[in-house]
Amino acid sequence: MPTPPTAAPTAAPGPACAPGPVPAIEVTGLTFRYPGATSDTLRGVDLRIEAGDFVAVVGGNGSGKTTLCKTFNGLVPHFWNGDLTGRVRVHGRSTRKRSVADLAGEVGYVFQDFGNQLVRPTVRDDVAFAPLNLGLEDWAERADEALAALGIEDLADAYTWQLSGGQQHLTALAGSLALRPRVLVVDEPAAEVDPARAAAIYERLTRLNREGVTVVVIEHHADLVARYARSVVLMAGGRVRWHLPVQEALARTADLEEADIPVPQVVALARALDPAVAAGRAPVPLTAEACTDLLAPRFAGHPAGLAAGPGGLEPGAAVGPTTEVVARAHDVTAGYLSVSGPRSTVLDGLSLTLRDRERVALVGSNGAGKSTLLALLAGLTLPQAGTVEVGGRDTRSVSAAELAGTVCYLVQRPEEMFLQDSVRADVAMFPRGRGLPDTDELVEGVLDRMQLTEVADRDGRLLSGGQQRRATLAIALAMRPRLLLLDEPTSSLDLRSRDDVIGLLADLAEYIRCTVVATHDMHLVAEWATRVVVLDQGRVLADTDPATLFASPGVLRRARLVPPQVAQVGAGLGLDPVPLSVEELVERAEGER
Amino acid sequence: MSAPAAGRSRSGLDRASVEWVKLELMRVAYATRGGFLSRRDPRAVIAWYVVGAIAPWFTYDLTVLAILFGLAVVGALAARIGPLLLGLFVLGLLGELVYLLILVLVLGHDWSTVLDLVMPTLKLGTVSLVSMAAFVSLDPEKISDALLALRAPAMIGFAVSYGYRMIPVLIDEYQTVVDGHRLRGAPPGPVGFLGRRAVVRVCWIAVQAFYPLVLNTAKRTRTTVEALETRGFTAATAAGSGGLARSLRLARLRFTAADGVLLAGTVLAVAGAFAAGAVLPK
Repeated sequence: MPTPPTAAPTAAPGPACAPGPVPAIEVTGLTFRYPGATSDTLRGVDLRIEAGDFVAVVGGNGSGKTTLCKTFNGLVPHFWNGDLTGRVRVHGRSTRKRSVADLAGEVGYVFQDFGNQLVRPTVRDDVAFAPLNLGLEDWAERADEALAALGIEDLADAYTWQLSGGQQHLTALAGSLALRPRVLVVDEPAAEVDPARAAAIYERLTRLNREGVTVVVIEHHADLVARYARSVVLMAGGRVRWHLPVQEALARTADLEEADIPVPQVVALARALDPAVAAGRAPVPLTAEACTDLLAPRFAGHPAGLAAGPGGLEPGAAVGPTTEVVARAHDVTAGYLSVSGPRSTVLDGLSLTLRDRERVALVGSNGAGKSTLLALLAGLTLPQAGTVEVGGRDTRSVSAAELAGTVCYLVQRPEEMFLQDSVRADVAMFPRGRGLPDTDELVEGVLDRMQLTEVADRDGRLLSGGQQRRATLAIALAMRPRLLLLDEPTSSLDLRSRDDVIGLLADLAEYIRCTVVATHDMHLVAEWATRVVVLDQGRVLADTDPATLFASPGVLRRARLVPPQVAQVGAGLGLDPVPLSVEELVERAEGER
Repeated sequence: MSAPAAGRSRSGLDRASVEWVKLELMRVAYATRGGFLSRRDPRAVIAWYVVGAIAPWFTYDLTVLAILFGLAVVGALAARIGPLLLGLFVLGLLGELVYLLILVLVLGHDWSTVLDLVMPTLKLGTVSLVSMAAFVSLDPEKISDALLALRAPAMIGFAVSYGYRMIPVLIDEYQTVVDGHRLRGAPPGPVGFLGRRAVVRVCWIAVQAFYPLVLNTAKRTRTTVEALETRGFTAATAAGSGGLARSLRLARLRFTAADGVLLAGTVLAVAGAFAAGAVLPK
């Protein structure tokens, strides 16, 4: 079924890399259908990626981004041998006659679930794995070189299962770099790490790019694309819609919106507030700093900032100390045993009181103690010292199973919440197990409210990422807890599903008295939370509302937090309180006019 | 319902002990304690193990077996097998002794039958101790290198090291799933006679928890299989065990004089035990 190539003519890539004689990747008329599938995943793709470019591939779920990138290293069609027409050339040579192992030396690939890419017990062994397999004499030097290039030499003897998500990603990256590929494909590098670490990964990719490696990333976060990429490929419906230099690409907001890619906040701000940008006469700003400079003249007359508009969130203190206490941790110390021996302390003399009607965001860098605190509040672990009370009961005096009616803990990986063979059975598990009289109505009501009725008979594992979060929230809702604890509910979701989850969380407020979310996602903090607790090295570094947090550079730096762009721009403009959404800043600016 | 009586409190040991067992297994698997065998070439360790594991089967002499058992105990302690394995082993041995004593009472002081039963106990005990000493001293890379050196198929060596890499992850996931069952499933009812129902409940949850574990693992493996392809493993395996990858990997193994001394010493010790058995009175 040869589909005629219908993609728009490919534009010249970013100005920084002049078209060379041999492009790194050249795709012509590529059509691909997975074995057993009923429709084509790629439909006539034409694409040319120059050597030395830094390309971001964007597009909605199911647009064929990952499949396209898997044609670069031969996984399509050599591993996934479906129907393929058209041609892919890597540095001028067709991939059709070359094996995946052969291409691996030229195109490195880091998968989206990179943790499963690590197959050896220690970091050094894993990084050396590919060069050893390919029989390269200098495998040891290559491994050392790759570790050094990413600055993770000190991890060399660590066990891969002990690494944090960010460290695992770097190890996977090093494992690909050990083959010294000239093209590196990274599928969603920022999906599961905190913003500071995502920036660090991109800085490393940028350095590799400067050293001559062609970098291709698949990315949902428009702000990262704006900051680091040189050109952008938009995929939609299995085709390349366009390939443009980043500044032009991000100015095409309508195309991006259509493909479910929200434009970066700085672009939205500039278009709303600067007529020249809106009319396309001036380039869009790509970073918060550039946007601040652009907008500064408009705000120059109002040094104290503009009055908070109706869009401003009430600070957490507005709930007042008079509402009922839901949970309380008093002078809590907790830690865990490590393989090497001594007990490490994660929480150190922490005190925290959670009250009725609070939406609490628990933030802090990886390892700050967020998950440990959630496990304590759920009664799954007991503190070494101090007390934890939930609903007035000391967690030492009741079992975790009994507490389950009061507090519900949703773990980070939704698959671990699916214990039955259908979503309905999972939702019904708790009320049925406790023999509640109205179980059936309750379950149907919850499924209906969470819009899960259609998929209720499917296994939760087979749902999309967004639906999985929806299903875990449904499980929580059916438990009717007073305190709901969530660990990273928005990680590795595309932005549409993420907004969806944030909306659901806001809706839950009427059923659940207090919700605590441990998160790296500052958009979630800005849009949803009324109170932010910043953890740092096992202590509470700050306990405030989002606007105050985003205006405190010292705390942000220490906890490695990166505020949403609109808050950065607001802080740069000297606004007080800092705006939390684009609409809020625009309203405030226009109210002033 | 089983609300605990007022004043009774959880010690937190339930979780702490699971955590301890997990870490102890990791220490054993990854040879973190050191010990005299962990510094040796993996091929020498495996040869040492073969000598120790085969020797007891060549004799029916209780004295020789007792000496071999004693040597194995010393070896296991010197290899630092750790409290968990040692504890389990001693527990098994004690159980065996109690069983033998009961047997003596039932059979009316017929010691010869008991001696017949002590024999296999000693043999199996020796083999267990030697196995523990050897495998506690080999980290996963050493095991897979040794298997490769012994011309085992590359897939087996890989499977062993991959197993080591995955087991900690799976244990964590299993723990989360079991917690999910405990929290969301039916609450524990009365424990029943001798805690019969509690035991049934624990077993039921343990079995149920495998279902999500297996499915999640299946999902996980999809990326792993693709990664093995991109990282050249599939190609290297297809090239056979004589491939370049094998010789490169094995180039780092060194069989030193100390390894030779260890093996010679072991053979001498075993021979000594047999000689002593011939000399000493029964």
